[in-house]
Amino acid sequence: MSTKGTHIPDWLKVPFAGITPAPTQERGQDLFPTGNWRAIRPVYHDKMPPCNNACGTNEKIQGYLDLVKRGKYLDAYALIKEDMPFPSITGRVCYHPCEQACNRGKYDEAISIRAVERFLGDLGLALPKDVVKAGVPNGKRVAVVGSGPAGHSAAYQLARLGYAVTILEKSPRAGGLNRGGIPDWVLPQDVLDKEIARLVELGITIKTGVEVGKDVTWDDLRKSYDACVLAVGLTEPNSVRAAGEDTPGVVYGLPFLRDIGMGTSKVKLGPRVAVIGGGNTAIDCAREALRQGASQVTMITIEANPQEMPCVPEDLHDMLEEGVELLHGLAMTAVLGGTKVEALELRPARFAGKVNASPIEIDRSAKPQRFVADNVIVAVGQHASLGWLPAEFKTERGTIKVDGFGRLGDTNVFAAGDVVQMGSGQPLMVVNAVGDGKRTAFNLDKVLRGEKLRPRTIAIDVITDLQRMNMTYFPHFPRVQQAMLAPVTRKLSQAEVALSLSEEQAVAEADRCFSCGTCNACDNCYLVCPEPCIVRADRSNGLYKILVDYCKGCRVCIEECPTGCLEGVPELDFDAGVVRMDTAFAITQGLHGRQAEELRKLPERAAKDIEGWR
Amino acid sequence: MGYTELTVWTRGIIMDKEGRDIVNSVAAAGRIEGKQTQAMENYVDNPDRTNAPTRKYCRISDVEIEHLLTYENEQPNIVVLVEQTMVKGWDYMRGMPPGGTLVINTHYSPEYMLRFVPGPERLQQLVCVDAAKLADHKWLYYRLGELGLDRLSTEGAAERSKAVAPDIAAPLIAAVVKTTGIVKLETIEPMIANIAAFRAGLASLQVLQVQTAAARG
Repeated sequence: MSTKGTHIPDWLKVPFAGITPAPTQERGQDLFPTGNWRAIRPVYHDKMPPCNNACGTNEKIQGYLDLVKRGKYLDAYALIKEDMPFPSITGRVCYHPCEQACNRGKYDEAISIRAVERFLGDLGLALPKDVVKAGVPNGKRVAVVGSGPAGHSAAYQLARLGYAVTILEKSPRAGGLNRGGIPDWVLPQDVLDKEIARLVELGITIKTGVEVGKDVTWDDLRKSYDACVLAVGLTEPNSVRAAGEDTPGVVYGLPFLRDIGMGTSKVKLGPRVAVIGGGNTAIDCAREALRQGASQVTMITIEANPQEMPCVPEDLHDMLEEGVELLHGLAMTAVLGGTKVEALELRPARFAGKVNASPIEIDRSAKPQRFVADNVIVAVGQHASLGWLPAEFKTERGTIKVDGFGRLGDTNVFAAGDVVQMGSGQPLMVVNAVGDGKRTAFNLDKVLRGEKLRPRTIAIDVITDLQRMNMTYFPHFPRVQQAMLAPVTRKLSQAEVALSLSEEQAVAEADRCFSCGTCNACDNCYLVCPEPCIVRADRSNGLYKILVDYCKGCRVCIEECPTGCLEGVPELDFDAGVVRMDTAFAITQGLHGRQAEELRKLPERAAKDIEGWR
Repeated sequence: MGYTELTVWTRGIIMDKEGRDIVNSVAAAGRIEGKQTQAMENYVDNPDRTNAPTRKYCRISDVEIEHLLTYENEQPNIVVLVEQTMVKGWDYMRGMPPGGTLVINTHYSPEYMLRFVPGPERLQQLVCVDAAKLADHKWLYYRLGELGLDRLSTEGAAERSKAVAPDIAAPLIAAVVKTTGIVKLETIEPMIANIAAFRAGLASLQVLQVQTAAARG
């Protein structure tokens, strides 16, 4: 029955006990602040997404994917640049631990984070000017030794903090391992050149052809600069200690790649090439050998199967696609031939202890196998060359001895990158070196500002359990595949193997992100709250608020939060935030009191009203 | 003890019966001991709403109760909070004369809970007992499946249970009786259904002597 048109007397129009005005009505919440019905309070608490946590430099991956999703590419690029000086490089070469950690991998397929990073990096390089600016100069000078990933990262962060940074680079061209260890068909040199130009844009001086220990001594370094970061990397190749290893035609992996990268290579490969080693450098060497004219490349590893090889599985897959053969469980014991390589002597071998670690057990009693080859590329790891460093700062493994903050004793000298990380269990990868360089730069800044270095004590809540999110909101959706050149053509050229994503593809890929544990302003809580007690100034993380006076703690928003950033906290853990409600029983107080006043006058007013009606 | 008022604050529907069990059993025990007693429910709060605050009242007097027909305890000597978050929400201390007792069902310590109490100087003691744990409380423990089928609602679910204090009321009754002596333990004990929880409540309650604590510091 409709009440439209019904005469409602004045005295019935005031809210009276039993009829509760809506909380949004004026003073409605005074009358009925149901916040104290609540035992659990919903709280927005962003957790650490697994990608962000797994990244060697802790890029805010969820953050930039979210921005890409919304088409805010420049913001996304700026966000990535907080932790990563060269997204266009890691977007090509990174071993993407983020994608292995991606929660989406447990659901359908991991997000192609690296490809999106490359999309952003290329976008950033196309800008006429970088979005990052150097900090206000603080008058302090810092030398960074080495321009590889760790040195690049440390110099970049220090320049942003306002230091006058000088990079000292041994080689004729800056770039370190980015130039000398990564082939052109993975990372084109012009991309690297542009990223290095961005460093110069920040006001960093790069001095090439300066070798510490020869052109500059340890004492010079400490005297001429306020502080110093040693990011010298691992430059010297390991040998396999086989007989005849000095035969012409035997080359070492890293120098082989480095000379090609620097444009100084004189190596002419024969048609049959053997690559010793099973790591990433060995794979790059094998693939590079094909491009340098070899027609038959065989990789010889001690590991018993491809799964044990310490390399990125997809690189191994690409290598096999290009036609490189694998021989497992063998070690090279001698190089046969006198003036040039004719054949190798191989014997069965295995790791005596841990896989991928010394000691190696070679079965000398077995009949040696003869393997015909024209060239051998030995790529069995690298070590540092630290002859110039005082002995007190060296470890027995031949790396630099640092404390937990990358500092050498009490000096203002820090070290970062592979030269520190070797043997620490951390994979020696570009992104880990970048992260180490970043953290070292921040530690150096603290030391120069006279602050105390403290280990991190706050526990990180990484959200890895899909149960903590509401998976009903995420439809299954396949991963956008990065296009690649066909194996037959790519193995003959220096053209980049993997192609970049288009804008549509990048957005589609970013759209698949769960935004694990972090508010991405989906507005779901705002919509599902049965009472109007979630308010927002704008659709943005951090701008949602819960009216604690009114929220009853029904948990609907917590249950319906897709990303799991809303959590229920016991109300008693909060000391404040709930108004004591007096109206439920005090019929002489508050709005109820005013109603009581009305109700007392009711008989006489009612009588008048009835008279008028008559 | 001439005249004592006991007010129990509880939550509508889900803990309604707990509150009622406390006032009913205390009043019944008082009557067995030959006192004038009264127990009643409050309908001002509209207790038929889940989680809404509701109050239950009990009065015990050596002589005839004068204001027999007043439906609210205006000066409660003892206040019981059946659910711990209620400590933040209301002025349950209103009208309490000095030397009162506050009993809370909580796993927090009385020292922690004291910060939420409005006007704690009126308290003589603050008693905390983890009744939900002692009674192994399960939310909506009243044959939920059956109720869902025949009534499509949990409303009034507790009414079906004829047992007195089968759940979290038992340790709370123990706490009230042991710390205030409002009735004798041996009178009330036979009425309690969950006797194990009652005894566990007697053994594990935590008492903070507020006035001595205040005097100390």
